[in-house]
Amino acid sequence: MIIADLTSKELATIMAGPGLRWGCGPFTMQLKTAISYFFDYFQLIYGRHPIIEEPWSDIADFHIQLTSSTKHRRFWRPQVFFQLDGMVQLAPFPKDHAPPMFEWGWNFAIAGRANHFLILHTAVVAKGGRAMILPGIPGSGKSTLCAALSLRGWRLLSDEFALLRPGDGLVFPTARPVALKNQSIDIIREFDKQAVLGPEFSKTRKGTVSHLQPSEDSVMLMEQPALPAWVVSPQYQEGQTPILQQVPKEHSFLRIAGNAFNYETLGGDGFKAVARIVRSCNMYDFRYSNLEEAVDTLERMVEDSP
Amino acid sequence: MAKTQTPGEMFLLVWKDPTLFPALKIADQDLFLRMARRAGLISRFANRLDSEDFTGSLSPKVQNHLQGARMVAQEDARMLRWEVNRIKRAFLGTSLPVILLKGAAYLLSDLPMARGRLVADVDILCHFSDLAKVEELLTANGWQGVKLEPYDQRYYRDWMHELPPMRHKERLTEVDIHHAILPRTGRLNPDSTLLLADKILLPGEDDIWTLSPVDMALHGVVHLFYDSDFDKGLRGLTDLDGLFRHFGQQEDFWQTLIPRARQLNLARPLYYAVQTGVEIVATPVPAEIREAIKVHAPSRPVDLLMQLLIRRMMVPNHPEERDLLSWLAWLLLFIRSHWLRMPPGLLLSHLTKKWVRKWRFDVRNRRTV
Repeated sequence: MIIADLTSKELATIMAGPGLRWGCGPFTMQLKTAISYFFDYFQLIYGRHPIIEEPWSDIADFHIQLTSSTKHRRFWRPQVFFQLDGMVQLAPFPKDHAPPMFEWGWNFAIAGRANHFLILHTAVVAKGGRAMILPGIPGSGKSTLCAALSLRGWRLLSDEFALLRPGDGLVFPTARPVALKNQSIDIIREFDKQAVLGPEFSKTRKGTVSHLQPSEDSVMLMEQPALPAWVVSPQYQEGQTPILQQVPKEHSFLRIAGNAFNYETLGGDGFKAVARIVRSCNMYDFRYSNLEEAVDTLERMVEDSP
Repeated sequence: MAKTQTPGEMFLLVWKDPTLFPALKIADQDLFLRMARRAGLISRFANRLDSEDFTGSLSPKVQNHLQGARMVAQEDARMLRWEVNRIKRAFLGTSLPVILLKGAAYLLSDLPMARGRLVADVDILCHFSDLAKVEELLTANGWQGVKLEPYDQRYYRDWMHELPPMRHKERLTEVDIHHAILPRTGRLNPDSTLLLADKILLPGEDDIWTLSPVDMALHGVVHLFYDSDFDKGLRGLTDLDGLFRHFGQQEDFWQTLIPRARQLNLARPLYYAVQTGVEIVATPVPAEIREAIKVHAPSRPVDLLMQLLIRRMMVPNHPEERDLLSWLAWLLLFIRSHWLRMPPGLLLSHLTKKWVRKWRFDVRNRRTV
């Protein structure tokens, strides 16, 4: 049974009651909330994700609650709180921003807790069993490029994290939405008229945000990890024709290690995991402006790779 | 598990005997791990399970969570050892000894209870007269005082038992420099020269020291049952339990504990520690010690009230249920610790300043994992 199979009334009853347990790649989620407008967003974006029914054979990785202001702030600028195991560790958002609060809070939770993975701060897409890691500083266009690739048949693993298992170097998908910001929203609408986007949230910390529904393939295959094959560091540059420039291995190690949230936490395992990526992947700096051309360039590079 | 069991009772049962964990229903394992996380004890628990050697029989996700928790504790331990190394280097060429307190002392003494113990900073002790010198040495080596408002500066420097924390510019790690184990303004003032006189050298080191076993234990006692660390709750209690268990095997530990507590004027907090440890985590305290410390109990009504409050602070709650009684217990103990910390006039002005500035109902919720 998937989340879209529930009527919004059923979903509301479960979420406001015991909470909904559902699967998202390597993670099992338990989510409670009574914020009613959140359900539409949730069903649109996570509709294809599987519900995990009782009896449960394993624990949930994250117990999340979205709650709204009580007491004095109920009427005056109400807020939404992200609670992880009953703890509020993040500043609240305005109440009509529950979806960005949920996605951002969940990112925070993964980055802090999923230390059985080496966690890179990067978008990841895959073709076949091979993954392309797309690390970039905020504003580099990694989310936009990853959205574009996922709309052209690449599998979306994540627009935020590469979750690498230290033992074998496999990267695990979560098939969550791509958070598009500001101009990227219209660029992607323009790029693919079929793209399904959630509502726009304006005046977040990153400007206006809208979430791209992950493709059907990405969700269907989210139990299947992929092996990193390329590291492509995108940098949008106005008027630039696509250029791929290979990064020497001795530089790529530090760049990848520096991109990880928990390189130091993992100690020796972190070192080995990064070394494995450096050995098995070529790393490129990628400058581009036009998305169609960028996707074509990467497609050609992939076809030329053995 | 019987239905009437509260989450807290379930938690304590399994904490005391980790071999029960694999047999718990998966929902209880889930609850247990979340409670352990909130109590800051999940890494400790992961390490205790390791020594039981049945992690193989646990579900994949449980193993992942335990593995992640172990990683975090290992990072903390690496950080701590490196920071001690850096402090030692900063003190090089001076006659100042590096005297470690709390977590750093437990770890570098290789105590079993330090395995998987999470730490935030390094605590060191020095003579009051050396404070300026220590601050100067650390400043010269990359640490700087954490930016504080003038009131907080004064709070630390004039009234507290430590300097404002110093943070390293690049590594962002913090050092707390203590000259005593209780605030200068407090009701009790254990004499630091007694503690310093009994310090012991770490094996294999030429100038890294810790307090003696009894003093290390009494320092833990003081923080949890006298000063304001009571809200570390069970985490603080398991530290004490670990110290008592480990040092209790040494021949003269129990014989010297009570006399030393009297000498330092800490017998009352020791009474609470012994009572609570025995009751809640089954700390193995010899019967004659449990009996002897009773003369330091407060009057019966105070004793009963304190036991009630302490129990509320030590037994973890269901992570998602806000419990008004626990909050009330926290509030009363918070008031008590401040009452003991400062004379009434000073306390009044201090609390007024603090409460006006930042008092919030959810202070407790903002503790980090």
